Amino acid sequence: MAGGGNAIAAVSPTVLALVAQPILTVVGTKRADGSLQLNPAWFEFDDGYFWLNSNRWRTWPKNVQRDRDITLNFIDASEPFRWASIRGRLAEVIPDPDHAFIDRLARRYTGRVFRELRPGEERITLKVEPVSVTGEMI
Amino acid sequence: MAVQLSSKMQEFTQEVYPAIIGTNRKDGSVQINPVWFEFQDRSFWINGGTNRGWFKHLQRDPRITLLLIDPKNMFRWAQVQGRMVNWAEDPGGEHINHLSHRYTGRDYQNPRTGRIKIQIQPERIKGSIDGWGR
Repeated sequence: MAGGGNAIAAVSPTVLALVAQPILTVVGTKRADGSLQLNPAWFEFDDGYFWLNSNRWRTWPKNVQRDRDITLNFIDASEPFRWASIRGRLAEVIPDPDHAFIDRLARRYTGRVFRELRPGEERITLKVEPVSVTGEMI
Repeated sequence: MAVQLSSKMQEFTQEVYPAIIGTNRKDGSVQINPVWFEFQDRSFWINGGTNRGWFKHLQRDPRITLLLIDPKNMFRWAQVQGRMVNWAEDPGGEHINHLSHRYTGRDYQNPRTGRIKIQIQPERIKGSIDGWGR
């Protein structure tokens, strides 16, 4: 465990190298009934924070906003048992009305801007503060 | 309530990639880690050491979520919400050896003692394999 309490956890150079790659993160959140939800998501690590983006009406961003608790798991695709897990806390929710951030993420992963939004879709950016780091490669 | 997997989902579970499991820690946070798995007889089967954090979590709260995701095509994925319905010792490590053959094509290289196999019944499935919103 690195960090703890309210401090922002230090992310080690090995984990930094992993999260610099355009791999998916697996987002772990809790539903209101305490059951677990796992979803794959795009992300970027910048300025000491993890940045994600979703549609405001999906379940996982609603879950995070309920208790601010989020776990992000990162797996090295070439070696699936090399992984790191970050326990994080939601620091801020930032509306993304011009899709600027989701386009930036889409370019990171696909080289293109994001698809056209669906009717009623509202993008939001979630800024996540790392609280502790666990895994096989810290 | 256990659910049955569609034939498309069943085919997906025969592919070889680790399952990413989520369990509930005592402090309410979510632990996520990869494990070997197989789907057989309407259940997911995983294997672990009794000292694993995730197994301790399951003994306290049997709810478990598995994320199955194709590492070569991240848009092919399924989320399985389930429950540990049974666990048993794996004497001689037969089950871990069986899983090792599924994943590596050879015998399990680590000690085969102190292992347990865990049965998970799927209760709800969502994701891109089976269509959305099921």
